[in-house]
Amino acid sequence: MQSHSIYKVPQGKLLKISLEYDEKKNVITDIRITGDFFAYPEEAIELLETKLKNTILERKQLLEKISSFITEGQIQFIGVNAEGLTQGILMCRP
Amino acid sequence: MTEQWRLLQTGFKNAYSNMAIDKAILVANSEGKVPPTVRFYGWDPAAISIGYFQSLVEEVDIEACERFGVDYVRRITGGGAVFHEKELTYSIVVPESHPEIPKNIIQSYGRICGAVMKGLHQLGIESDYAPINDIVTGGRKISGNAQTRKLETVLQHGTVLMDVDVDTMFSLLKVPNEKIKDKLIADVKQRVTSLKHILGNEIRFNEVARAMKIGFEEEFDIELIEGKLSKEELALAKQFEKESFSTTEWNHRR
Repeated sequence: MQSHSIYKVPQGKLLKISLEYDEKKNVITDIRITGDFFAYPEEAIELLETKLKNTILERKQLLEKISSFITEGQIQFIGVNAEGLTQGILMCRP
Repeated sequence: MTEQWRLLQTGFKNAYSNMAIDKAILVANSEGKVPPTVRFYGWDPAAISIGYFQSLVEEVDIEACERFGVDYVRRITGGGAVFHEKELTYSIVVPESHPEIPKNIIQSYGRICGAVMKGLHQLGIESDYAPINDIVTGGRKISGNAQTRKLETVLQHGTVLMDVDVDTMFSLLKVPNEKIKDKLIADVKQRVTSLKHILGNEIRFNEVARAMKIGFEEEFDIELIEGKLSKEELALAKQFEKESFSTTEWNHRR
């Protein structure tokens, strides 16, 4: 299943997510995170996309995975955060 | 003695070359081969630049760009899509360790935007920093800015709008919802301004550059000495232009 979301992060930037997921298993098979935000280092976004594959589409698990990725990698997002990314991803699911 | 940085005035170049030169300066500075640098430049032909994280096909009407003879390029910095036509673009490259550059990224945006604001003051224009990356005058955007940090070096580039053509801009950019396009265009016209609009007449690029030079000198307590790109920077820029900025792989990568 392919889906797309556009989410204006509160006090932040416009986040656009393209998601491919397995409906039966409720698992992400592919994801592309785009938008006019900032991330330091920039290459982190590709690593995050890879890391999110095979993640269950469920708020708590997504938030935990994204938060720990940010902390462990010492990633700095500006205009988007773990909550915003989680929200944008979940909005792809009907 | 006042610290001396390099000033580059590279004139009007195409989008691939402009983005390649900024990256070449960053690499050369990170290796200690060139001093901190402020560069002023323009775009010929006019071009759209998109932020590193944006999807080219979602943001840019490629067919319209080709019809209008407008280039498009992906930046190494984040942020949004920009239509570069009548503007002065600046870039600043300086080591992250420089005492004048705050370690905190948002604070450093504020400092560098401060240089642009002091430059605007030279033109008789008072402006405000609108975090994270805009400068506004009378509440309307006059400058957009984007920063990256690589190789322990800061690169920030940004625009000073000399004139703005919102209708052309929107014929080149895609909007998420075609139904509200007219309203969006009306909104943007309200939210964006330009030197021409504020001053009531056209201003020359060189005049803006002169003002911005003073702005950077005052903000960072430096003297800008006009210089040239080194041979190595020119070679690097040519390489980056050929290997990334002009390629489909780079521009369509997201």
